[in-house]
Amino acid sequence: MNFKLIFRTLGLLLIVEGIAMFLALIVALIYNGTDVIALCQSALICMGTGGILFFVFRNTGKEMGKREGFVIVSLVWVLFSFFGSLPFILSHTIPDLTNAFFETMSGFTTTGSSILNDIESLPNGILFWRSMTQWLGGMGIIVLSLAILPIFGIGGMQLFSAEVPGPVADKLSPRIQATAKKLWVIYFIFTVAEMLLLWIGGMSFFDAINHSFTTMATGGYSTKQASIAYWSSPFIQYVIIFFMVVAGTNFTVSYLMLTGKFRKAIQNEELKYYLFFISVFTLIIFGGLLISNELGFEQSFRDALFQVVSILTTTGYATADYLHWTPFLTIVLFAVFFFGGSAGSTGGGLKIMRIVLLLKNSYYELHRLIHPKAIIPVRFNQKPVSDQIITNVLAFFMFYFVIFFSSSVLLMLVVPDLPSAMGAVATSLGNIGPGLGIFGPAENFSALHPAGKWFLSFLMLLGRLELFTVLVLFSPAFWKR
Amino acid sequence: MKMKIVIAGAGEVGTHLAKMLSKEKHDIILMDEDSEKLHQISSHIDLLTVTGYANSIRDLQEAGTQDADLFIAVTPFEDRNIVACLIAKDLGAKRTVARVNNGEFLNPHNRARFTKFGVDEIIYPENLAAKEIVNSIKQVGTREMIEFSGGKLILMGIKVRGNAPIVNRTMEDISLTDEAIRTVAISRENKVFIPRGKSVILNGDIVFFITNKANKDQIFNLCGKKIYEIKNIMILGGSRIAQKAVEKLGDQYHIKIIEYDRDRSIRLAGKLRNALVIHGDGRNMELLKEESLEKMDAFVAVTGNSETNILSCQLAKSIGVKRTIAEIENIDFLNMAEEMGIGSIINKKLLAASYIYKYTMGTSVSQVKCLTASDADVFEFEVKNESKITSKPLRELSFPEDAIVGGVIRGDKGFVATGDTQIKIGDLVVVFALTSAISKIEKFFN
Repeated sequence: MNFKLIFRTLGLLLIVEGIAMFLALIVALIYNGTDVIALCQSALICMGTGGILFFVFRNTGKEMGKREGFVIVSLVWVLFSFFGSLPFILSHTIPDLTNAFFETMSGFTTTGSSILNDIESLPNGILFWRSMTQWLGGMGIIVLSLAILPIFGIGGMQLFSAEVPGPVADKLSPRIQATAKKLWVIYFIFTVAEMLLLWIGGMSFFDAINHSFTTMATGGYSTKQASIAYWSSPFIQYVIIFFMVVAGTNFTVSYLMLTGKFRKAIQNEELKYYLFFISVFTLIIFGGLLISNELGFEQSFRDALFQVVSILTTTGYATADYLHWTPFLTIVLFAVFFFGGSAGSTGGGLKIMRIVLLLKNSYYELHRLIHPKAIIPVRFNQKPVSDQIITNVLAFFMFYFVIFFSSSVLLMLVVPDLPSAMGAVATSLGNIGPGLGIFGPAENFSALHPAGKWFLSFLMLLGRLELFTVLVLFSPAFWKR
Repeated sequence: MKMKIVIAGAGEVGTHLAKMLSKEKHDIILMDEDSEKLHQISSHIDLLTVTGYANSIRDLQEAGTQDADLFIAVTPFEDRNIVACLIAKDLGAKRTVARVNNGEFLNPHNRARFTKFGVDEIIYPENLAAKEIVNSIKQVGTREMIEFSGGKLILMGIKVRGNAPIVNRTMEDISLTDEAIRTVAISRENKVFIPRGKSVILNGDIVFFITNKANKDQIFNLCGKKIYEIKNIMILGGSRIAQKAVEKLGDQYHIKIIEYDRDRSIRLAGKLRNALVIHGDGRNMELLKEESLEKMDAFVAVTGNSETNILSCQLAKSIGVKRTIAEIENIDFLNMAEEMGIGSIINKKLLAASYIYKYTMGTSVSQVKCLTASDADVFEFEVKNESKITSKPLRELSFPEDAIVGGVIRGDKGFVATGDTQIKIGDLVVVFALTSAISKIEKFFN
């Protein structure tokens, strides 16, 4: 293991975080808030530490192996969350390290679970930083760094594939750096587009920026305690729904759309299933709401669509409290917790592609029983998927549910009831935001025991890096020579 | 210059090319029908992979052939390569290269036909390998020998043993003895570096010199090499490379070919009139002795099996054959073979790759050669117009540390470069560069 290289890279990435903090500082200066000094200090600490690490270890080879890639990517997310919590701590908005770390990890992993009881009381610079953590984490810290720093060489690929695991890699361009740049350009375009629409729709400019950041990242942090429910405007809600759907779409598909290759884009099988799942769940919940509530036709539809899209894309905004729906609808929505966005999107969860592959494979298993000698490949996008990928997806699925169940049990140590525990674990692992029971969309995580907060932070990281990157660090084989 | 290069066929030539080119900021798209293989490659080379057939129009479009600057078809199948090039050219690829297995296609008056179809360049790796073998038989004593502009300048790589007069002497000493010799690089323990004034030559180094034809013998003297004439050659394996090599060697040698396969032996015997074909197993010592291996001046092992080639060369060497040449297709073995003291190593892939490499270098490069078993290349640049290289004498140019100007060919005279040399328009400049320097030196010529 080349630790020097690891430290050097981490140092470099911290400098990037410091620069991002400066952006929040600019916002703080514009509003002349109480948070100017805290943000300034944090940015300097970040860049200072990064600079020292980078300088001390500047003379190392650039050849990066797979192992270094896994370590760097896992560590950088933890490190970013530690340094990212500095503004909260130094400005005394979240004085306690546990809470601040939880809030920042929830930000970077685009989970969106919060411990804040009075979001509106935070100064604008801090709020902006809070949304910014999600925006940076959404497309990925490594992907951002690859796009703006030309120095990773071949190692960049190891890092990229550790941060964006997915069942299959999609490159928009032959060069990893060019790919990262294109991804960020698409991301940026969508963010700006949403911001303008929200602004036109009546949000303040500041709220529009923040919400477009956290929508495109499928994060779910809001600048209001009541989340999107604060704005009753259907236009704003539909705009957000649209961009949540976009954010949960594979960016390769978005790229094809933006470059005018519509036919190729709509042929994408994952996109079809993604839209199919959204429609089916929306219809079920819409029907259920019509029967059980008296909200009227349009609002029932909008509430159903908003909640389904918000949970399925793992954003986690709320315009209605699904815990107050009839239990049937709550359970149906809880099932959506396990879907997630498309592969290659900013959404978390199991990912649509994995679910489709699993369903297909299981279904074909029946065929294989009848025709034991038949070779029946699982096809995706008309192409046969290799057994290796199927095995990988099965292993992922297995890990996901073992972790889900055992963590739920473990969390019962500090949480009073099973639904709350299961909801908290599912929401953290899937990077969603709100949970069930005492962690519902109208509540938050501030009452949770500190140990529970650290544990959930870890689950968020696991979920964001799609299990393997982090889990592999805990396997003895990884550390053997 | 950044190019978009589509390579069809992720075999050994294709993969090696992709690896080499991706180090230089080109956009590489590698096509193959084996997705597993592509997956392997894409995990350690920064390129885009496309699963598909080289002769499928749809797959070629998928790979973006329509706006490729260079299309290279190096699948194992000649006909598929040619068809792929036709389609690629028609789709809009600027330049196409096909790998063939047929010497007839190389014939200069057939070339026009291929250009008309849309195949701009043809490479025939076996032919390149045969040329290389003939060169190393004609150039006894060297590990590597590259001629520029028909021999006006020569690059020679020589393994220096303890008995050589230059061992333990510095570069400055050497340049004092003869001004017409420039030491451009030293390969020591598989690492190539550019020597500076105070660098010392050690026993076991491979030293690369640039000089002109007249001073060749002087270099052999410096390195303590005796020149001997080669008359008797034994070739192990009747592969296509062997055939081509024998054709090129001509009548002035006594050649024996040992081939295991009987039918092939008969065919060879019918084709080659200047060689004696012996049917038998080359790994059989009795047979080799019977055919008087010890009387041979050169031993060439070109069976399809790299291990057999290495070991039999080692055996020949131990019996007393002075010149050994082995075809080694397994790139990981190259360094080892170099250390074992096999006279010359032939690797089809590297040869083909460096040949194709030329097409990616812009118009100023007229010749490229990648050195076997090292991360270094030799270029011949044509200075076409005012550029950085013509601005000042070499000493003042701040030329990259990991590259060196070896010599200059002006008109029909070649001379060795020194710090005071001023490059002029129309010169051909021979540059020795480590792989890390290539993009830097290109700037000096464009």
